[in-house]
Amino acid sequence: MTSLSDILTDLVSDVDGVFLFSPNGSFHERFDGIENVVVVGAENTVEADTFVELPIQFADVTDRIRFGIEGAMDDGLVGEGDVLACIGSLFSDDADFTSRVRVDESMRSGIYDLFTNSRADPTVISDVFEVALELGRKGQKGKPVGALFVVGDAGKVMNKSRPLSYNPFEKSHVHVGDPIVNVMLKEFSRLDGAFVISDSGKIVSAYRYLEPSAEGVDIPKGLGARHMAGGAITRDTNATAIVLSESDGLVRAFKGGKLILELDPEEY
Amino acid sequence: MHGPLQFSVDEFFGTISPRIWLAVFIFTIGMLLAYGVMGVTSRLLERMGVVETIEGTSFERTTNEFGTSTARIITQLSGVFTILLATFVAITVADLQFVGLFWSSVAIFLPQLFIAIVILVVGVVVADKVELLVSERLRGVKLPEIGLIPLLAKYSVLFVAILIALSQIGVAVLALIVLLGAYALALIVFTALATQDLLASGTAGVYLLLNQPYSIGDEVKVGGQRGIVQEVDLLVTRIETDGEEHIIPNRTVLKDGIVRIQQ
Repeated sequence: MTSLSDILTDLVSDVDGVFLFSPNGSFHERFDGIENVVVVGAENTVEADTFVELPIQFADVTDRIRFGIEGAMDDGLVGEGDVLACIGSLFSDDADFTSRVRVDESMRSGIYDLFTNSRADPTVISDVFEVALELGRKGQKGKPVGALFVVGDAGKVMNKSRPLSYNPFEKSHVHVGDPIVNVMLKEFSRLDGAFVISDSGKIVSAYRYLEPSAEGVDIPKGLGARHMAGGAITRDTNATAIVLSESDGLVRAFKGGKLILELDPEEY
Repeated sequence: MHGPLQFSVDEFFGTISPRIWLAVFIFTIGMLLAYGVMGVTSRLLERMGVVETIEGTSFERTTNEFGTSTARIITQLSGVFTILLATFVAITVADLQFVGLFWSSVAIFLPQLFIAIVILVVGVVVADKVELLVSERLRGVKLPEIGLIPLLAKYSVLFVAILIALSQIGVAVLALIVLLGAYALALIVFTALATQDLLASGTAGVYLLLNQPYSIGDEVKVGGQRGIVQEVDLLVTRIETDGEEHIIPNRTVLKDGIVRIQQ
């Protein structure tokens, strides 16, 4: 006769570490005596010693767990073969699920890498993600719209592209992340071409026609010219491309010529 | 039966001159006035938002430990001062010669002492507040030595407060003022020395950002370094060549000039 708590005990027995996803203070304190506790969240509110920052609040729990584990792997907190117990909140604000995860090198999808090891600041990339997600959710005046943001390594990107028309952001000092700038970006998204954003988040140009060589770019078939241009520029430069598709409304991120992350704006 | 007692009481009252009565009356008025002053002061302090402003300073915390608060101390001080003033006036009216000499010097000294104490209390509170504000500002900087700066700011304010308080009660403070002057001078000289590069780069950066003689993506040559501009901010310009990133202070850009390579 096994009781429910036995099953739960099996789930968390012999784990090498515990991952807490956005715990609140009192809940985190209960883990004081346990070793290898890693806190994953948007902010280190509980002042934990080991912390992995989530740049965007992944709606998909698997993405969230993957991102946390990938971050911990990069920081050398966990290694391949470790078994982890992940505790987080799914429906309410309190912890309400436990999951047993085995760390595997194949979990390395590059999502963590995309944010932390890109040329651009992690905050800049997550700000651009937010703009793209909101644009995908609401569209431009209700109509679905596409957009292409090239973030980081702006000098090189500018040299591998040419203007389609006058640059509306010339001699302006606007940075992504300002609420008013996000509105501007949305308005300008009806322009054709790419937005070029510098490492520190300055919007360098809109209306750019990217001219990378598309050789050896590995992106799924069926994606359009915008994705191809975005993917290819990241292979030629150290930039990250964040693309909002006009046809299927998904936000995709490319780095090093590869598709790294795919998000559905409707879920955020 | 009642006669002798009545007489003695009458006699007792008779020996006391009307001046004393007046003095007692003035003293009573003074007490009432002190009560009023205390009420007005505490309400004034609350109205001006002093109570909230000084919340959390270590002086306030210390006073709280003794079961009082800064506002209450100031209120009590004003009350005590009013009572002392009333006592002085009462004694003058009562014309008690033997204490007159003593009290006349006290009368001059008292307001000064009162102001000195108030200045000291205000100084301590302001110093605590300054320390709090500065350390709040520097919270992002994770350096152990950084804790020295808030302390320095605190003791500077405290020093000035003590100086003013001491000069108020007539202690010779010339030597201390000289010390303060030397300290201030050293502070200014060191700050100027330490930040002159930053200031020069900052002003050059303002010009570069406003006029944009070159922008991100341009190929330029600055001080012998040739490369593509990646970023221009207030203090530095980042120029990149293959595998090398040159971070050039903006003052160098303005001083040495910049070559833009036409494509």
